[in-house]
Amino acid sequence: MKRLIALVTLAAALPAFAAKDQLHLYNWNNYIAPETVKRFEEQCKCEVVQTYYSDNEELLAKLAAGAKGYDVLVPTSNAVQALIKGGQLRPLDQSKLPNMKNVDPAFMNTKFDPGNKYSVPYAMSTTIIGYNDQKMKELGLPTDTWAVIFDPKYLEKVKGRVTVLDSSNELFAAALKYLGYSANDTDEKHWKEAADLIKKAKPYWAAFNASSYIKELTVGNIWLVHGYSNDIFQANQDAKAAGRPFQILQGMPKEGAVLAVDNMVIHKDAPRPDLAHQFINFMLDGKNSAELTNLIGSGNPNMDAAKYIKPELKALPAVFPPKDVQAKLEQLQDLTPAQRRLRNRMWTEIKAGK
Amino acid sequence: MKERIGKWLVSGPPLLYLIVFFAAPSLIMVLASFRSPGEFGGLAPLRDPAGHLDLNLESYARFFGEPLYWGIFLKSFWYALATTLICLVLAYPLAALIARSDKRHRDLLLLLVILPFWSNFLIRVYAWMIILGPNAALARTVNGVLALFGAEPVPLLFSAFAVLVCLVYVHLPFMVLPLYANLEKHDQTLLDAAQDLGANAWQRFWRITFPLSLPGVYAGSALVFIPAFGIFAIPDILGGPDDSLIGNVIKQQFLETRDWPFGSVLSIVLTVLALLLAALAAWVGRRGVGRLAGGDA
Amino acid sequence: MRKRPVALWAAAIFAYAFLYLPLVIVVVYSFNDSRLNAEWVGFTLDWYRKLSENNEMLLAAGNSLMIALVASLVSTVLGTMAGVAMYRYRLRLLPILVLTPIAIPEILMGVSLLIFFVMLNFTLGLVSVALAHIAFCIGFVAIVVRARLAGMDESLVEAARDCGASPWRAFAYVTLPLIMPGVIAGALMAFTLSIDDFVITFFTAGAGTMTLPLQIYSMIKIAVTPEVNAVSTLLMLLTLVLIVIASKVSPSLLRAD
Repeated sequence: MKRLIALVTLAAALPAFAAKDQLHLYNWNNYIAPETVKRFEEQCKCEVVQTYYSDNEELLAKLAAGAKGYDVLVPTSNAVQALIKGGQLRPLDQSKLPNMKNVDPAFMNTKFDPGNKYSVPYAMSTTIIGYNDQKMKELGLPTDTWAVIFDPKYLEKVKGRVTVLDSSNELFAAALKYLGYSANDTDEKHWKEAADLIKKAKPYWAAFNASSYIKELTVGNIWLVHGYSNDIFQANQDAKAAGRPFQILQGMPKEGAVLAVDNMVIHKDAPRPDLAHQFINFMLDGKNSAELTNLIGSGNPNMDAAKYIKPELKALPAVFPPKDVQAKLEQLQDLTPAQRRLRNRMWTEIKAGK
Repeated sequence: MKERIGKWLVSGPPLLYLIVFFAAPSLIMVLASFRSPGEFGGLAPLRDPAGHLDLNLESYARFFGEPLYWGIFLKSFWYALATTLICLVLAYPLAALIARSDKRHRDLLLLLVILPFWSNFLIRVYAWMIILGPNAALARTVNGVLALFGAEPVPLLFSAFAVLVCLVYVHLPFMVLPLYANLEKHDQTLLDAAQDLGANAWQRFWRITFPLSLPGVYAGSALVFIPAFGIFAIPDILGGPDDSLIGNVIKQQFLETRDWPFGSVLSIVLTVLALLLAALAAWVGRRGVGRLAGGDA
Repeated sequence: MRKRPVALWAAAIFAYAFLYLPLVIVVVYSFNDSRLNAEWVGFTLDWYRKLSENNEMLLAAGNSLMIALVASLVSTVLGTMAGVAMYRYRLRLLPILVLTPIAIPEILMGVSLLIFFVMLNFTLGLVSVALAHIAFCIGFVAIVVRARLAGMDESLVEAARDCGASPWRAFAYVTLPLIMPGVIAGALMAFTLSIDDFVITFFTAGAGTMTLPLQIYSMIKIAVTPEVNAVSTLLMLLTLVLIVIASKVSPSLLRAD
């Protein structure tokens, strides 16, 4: 009996021993370099507990249902918009974030979050064309225009070897850009045009795929994709490592593309806002920010990071888009419920129709 | 009286658990199907600014007014049906073999059936992508044969075929296990007697084994058809551009469109349809069993 | 003399081959010297080494195993009770509550459970995941047990009662051993469902909770490296070993004698 009491007391006291300071980071997988995390843990004398999501929408759904316990989240700008409007975020205490000045002003004070009250840019990617350079040269196909994804006269040559992203927002955006409209155009007539364009091209596509197109590209099963710049960069690394005779290159379409900026935000019910601010400021330091770019080839909005980034990465337009490319990049806006419904109806029709 | 106590003792605990952890949460979402979608996702507040209850049938009206969704339901039905039948054909010999084995080997053989499914689902699907890939042996053989007949090469991956193969694969154990549980108790002496009386193997199977195994067949079919009806992961990963099923549409409502009421409506229709079909099959089975087995089954 | 049914053996072997072909690839590719699960490049033990250093993945695997053990145990007990109850008594509510979790789309169940837990101010974590898993596993066990009971020879039970056994003893010593293959089959299914669940787990897991499927699915957009093959292979082996040990320790448990 005495032993039982001792055990229970010990068990009750254990949390006190185990209660290290913890920062709960809810992030994309592989979206922070392990060295960076370790360095932060040493600096703050705390533990970073990471959980992952693979889609903004998953994050939004979970938070909309009331989940809490997270400190820092890393949503893309349109998700930040939804979160702010839904009252899910805690305002940033900018006095605790002196490193904010490192961020390129071009990415600050956007219409998603005027004054950066809630968010700070973390990393970015563009949604562009990825291709097998050997095959595209063989077939004589252009790699700097969306036409190669949407125009049957080009698609004929790559039938069954093309994949597009399984995202209505991304695919509609690409189609709208190709047709000469803004990616954020909300005119129903323009959407119908885009939908028709997609339906005409669909028979030539192998699949709507958001997850395994990297490996299919690297293996050589797929020759052309509509995908994220980070993924395409990674595919090329993998192709090199596997000793393939071809390279996987990024093609920036001349009609423009979608820019996705991921931001650090703090959840309104964050258990440790103090650690959260420390973390955000830490990640805004150029050296720390550069580590992610060096790891996965992600775009970097941090001016101070430039000197730490590997030179071959700095040259990629997807990492530091030059001004003329920047002019054609657009960030996606969140849609109203009625618009989302219309788009989903069109999307379902596209995917269901024969 | 003792009978009633016994009834509550046995059915009580599972009933209670399911009411608390299933019925109550589900009722929340059933209610959600009558609400309006939230501006930024999720649900709109239950009471509008004027304080009135915001309940409506909009989402239901949208669903019933659109033949598009019925078409997708039908497609999902066919996939689920095909999966169930193929699973039945594949699983039956396997279950029969295990049921007839020595007690020593039986457990091992059963474990061997389910062992592959303790690896991760995604990894298994990726393995199928390798097997069905355009440069792999299978695709090359099939397309080689087709080329002999002058036919166009067909993609094995990212197609309805790939979806079906993977659906069957993923659901096979759920047909094997219930069939096994039923076949295991079949009395071999019945079959021996029939053989002595001159029945051949097929007759023994069709007139004795199969009718007696019907409860197992129905259980396995339910445990395959019902989940397969609503699946989304496999079409997402392996499917071609035309292979979107109702499970995918439902997932999009909760994630991309963030229209929870509509997602709830589709889910409720799916659930009700699946349960109705199961009840229908059971009813047909009860009548059919009587005819086939000529009595008790 | 009973003939060995060749056709039966051939069909069964084909089915086993079908089951194991992808698995062979999974295990073989855990030694693949390529980051991608796409093509064979060369042999390496690197991924197992990386796995041994990957505390996150190992912890996630451990969580999954723990949850699966608890969930399958509880759902087997409750599911067996439900299966027996549905067989013996005329019930209306229980069959519906048992069957519906199997039919309902996982995403709906996940979201509704999350809302429910939040409403009750129940802290999300491993426990919330286990509770959710039990809810959808009960149905699978119940259906298999019920199918096993269908057509059971009641006379055995009646005989036991005639000899003076109480309902409990009749159940424990006559019915239970007779339905044991059904119970075991149900337990195996419940374990399999729990260890591999993603959607419901995603919504009911807490801020610091990672299970193996959550970990793996989050890698889906970057690359599901052979480390995952390695952890899958090890998890399978571990589970197999546990079950073999359990059956040696209590051989009477698995026999339907």
